[in-house]
Amino acid sequence: MGAIFKGTREGKGKEMTEALQSLFWILIFPGFLFTTCFGLIASWIVRKVSALVQWRVGPPLLQPFYDVVKLMGKEILVPQDAQRTVFMAAPLVGLAGVLLLSTMLWRITIAPEMLFVGDIIVAFYLMVLPSLALIFGSSASASPHAAVGTSREMKLVMSYELSLVLALIVVIIKTGGQLNLAAIIQQTPALSISGMLAFLVALLCVQAKLGFVPFDIAEAETELGSGVLMEYSGALLAVWKVVQAMLLVALPLFLVMVFLGGFGTSLWAGLLAGIGKYVLILVLLILIKNTNPRVRIDQAMKFFWVYCGIALAVAIILAITGNYYGISWL
Amino acid sequence: MNQEELNNKLAEIKDKLTKIELKSDTRIYLYCEGENSYAVNKFLFEDVPLRFVIATGIDSDDCFEVIYHYSYDQTGCVISLKAFIRDRENPAIESIAPFLPAAEWIEREIHDILGIDFKNHPNMRRLILADDWPDGVYPMRKEVKK
Amino acid sequence: MSWKIWSLKKSPWVFHVNTGACNNCDIEIVNLLTPKFDVERFGIKLVGSPRHADALLVTGVVTRQAAPRLQEVYRQTSKPCVVFCMGACACDTGIFRDGYHVVGPVDKIIKEVDPNAIIAYVPGCPPKPEAMISGVVKALSIL
Repeated sequence: MGAIFKGTREGKGKEMTEALQSLFWILIFPGFLFTTCFGLIASWIVRKVSALVQWRVGPPLLQPFYDVVKLMGKEILVPQDAQRTVFMAAPLVGLAGVLLLSTMLWRITIAPEMLFVGDIIVAFYLMVLPSLALIFGSSASASPHAAVGTSREMKLVMSYELSLVLALIVVIIKTGGQLNLAAIIQQTPALSISGMLAFLVALLCVQAKLGFVPFDIAEAETELGSGVLMEYSGALLAVWKVVQAMLLVALPLFLVMVFLGGFGTSLWAGLLAGIGKYVLILVLLILIKNTNPRVRIDQAMKFFWVYCGIALAVAIILAITGNYYGISWL
Repeated sequence: MNQEELNNKLAEIKDKLTKIELKSDTRIYLYCEGENSYAVNKFLFEDVPLRFVIATGIDSDDCFEVIYHYSYDQTGCVISLKAFIRDRENPAIESIAPFLPAAEWIEREIHDILGIDFKNHPNMRRLILADDWPDGVYPMRKEVKK
Repeated sequence: MSWKIWSLKKSPWVFHVNTGACNNCDIEIVNLLTPKFDVERFGIKLVGSPRHADALLVTGVVTRQAAPRLQEVYRQTSKPCVVFCMGACACDTGIFRDGYHVVGPVDKIIKEVDPNAIIAYVPGCPPKPEAMISGVVKALSIL
């Protein structure tokens, strides 16, 4: 993306092509259109596998697409006391965050020379944006149910972000302190004890970030009432569903790149291996989702801060000793 | 105590009742006037002792009745105390909620539906009629059409 | 047929409203949404907020206290939407016709808010879950 800012005159023509090319990457492939379709199919996989686990048939393949199209056709109702600007801008901010994140991750997977130092930090910041947008949007809703959902979502975000950062620190230590994703992709940190611990904790953090059971405290919590998205309707709700679908692509992809060694170098074998790793993580998420009840917010906080914190502290110590003495399986 | 002892115990309050009817082994009806209902209820709840189940309000043609149902769990016997309120213009009876808090809500409901005034009730408020229901219209009285 | 109605038929999200029912119909509705009858294959999903809903499953004869609340819930459902009257009480007050608290069947209350409301009737006391599925699918197919 930094290649857009070329200042020379002969670079002007090239600049236009670069801009159009970047627009293509962001909007069509591998940005908005590709990730949305992939994400909606992934969410169909989640629903279908959940249905099969429950011995029933489940929805047809295009069901998530029908859902989004139907939501675009409904009227948008804004509550009278809601803060209109924040209410309507929040889903778009979330969409922007996840769009940039997924575009960046796919670009680095496909063409690892597009790296820049510190891109793992940028990815991490972009991952927070959808949750932050959810908090802003629901607190602008002026509804007591949404307010409860907001406070619970805030507490949940504070809990799992720390564990996710520590898990990433384990990976960075193991790969020798390099802060770019292309270097991290070369290695497979999960094939070691500290890496495996960090991978499991990061998997649970991703489960919480995606809003899956057992950590779907914010959205489906008051499922007897509704959740943090209670006051949204019509096209704004469609945007939230698209954001959730795109997160379902971006976050497991992030885990694949950071822990499981990315998509590999050769074209067809690498593609198959990458898809296989992505499906593995998706299946793990679905199985955890279908076999667990929802936890309370205080149980979730205790889980992430105490149990995951201790596991990650052990993992960091093992990683540092392994790195110092050159033992790769620690 | 078994059924025999129960019958003997109930006979202790015979002077406040107008009639005792043993419809079957497990069903006893006690009849009394409205003025004595407080004392009889207190006896049944505290001295026998029995478990309060529910109360019923009835609009008979010439009087109102409040029936208090008690259960004796050891033999499965249900004892109903029928208290007659002869005054149809201003029906009133003493509330048993001061010593039996479980009766508070059912007395509120009978007041809402039949208009019987429970004296000394600690918390007489509207219970089941809608917020915009007109005051003074008691839906289950015989003279009220839909 | 406009794309809005077409997509509504493909993915109807339901919200359940009880306006003073004896709970028999409500138990059957909750029964309906369990994995045994699997309504997800029609795209039907239970949502927790009327703003997300396309179909309101209304049970119960409308009591005086519940009538303004039912109208408010209908106003908060984003259009286009369908109202399903589940059970004999919702269709035409059933056995509670002369009750002192009954202000009318569901369609009379909804039509006060919106004379052009789309209302479908599923009779029964209570209607079996299979009957409810058949009613919903039939109503959606003739929309």
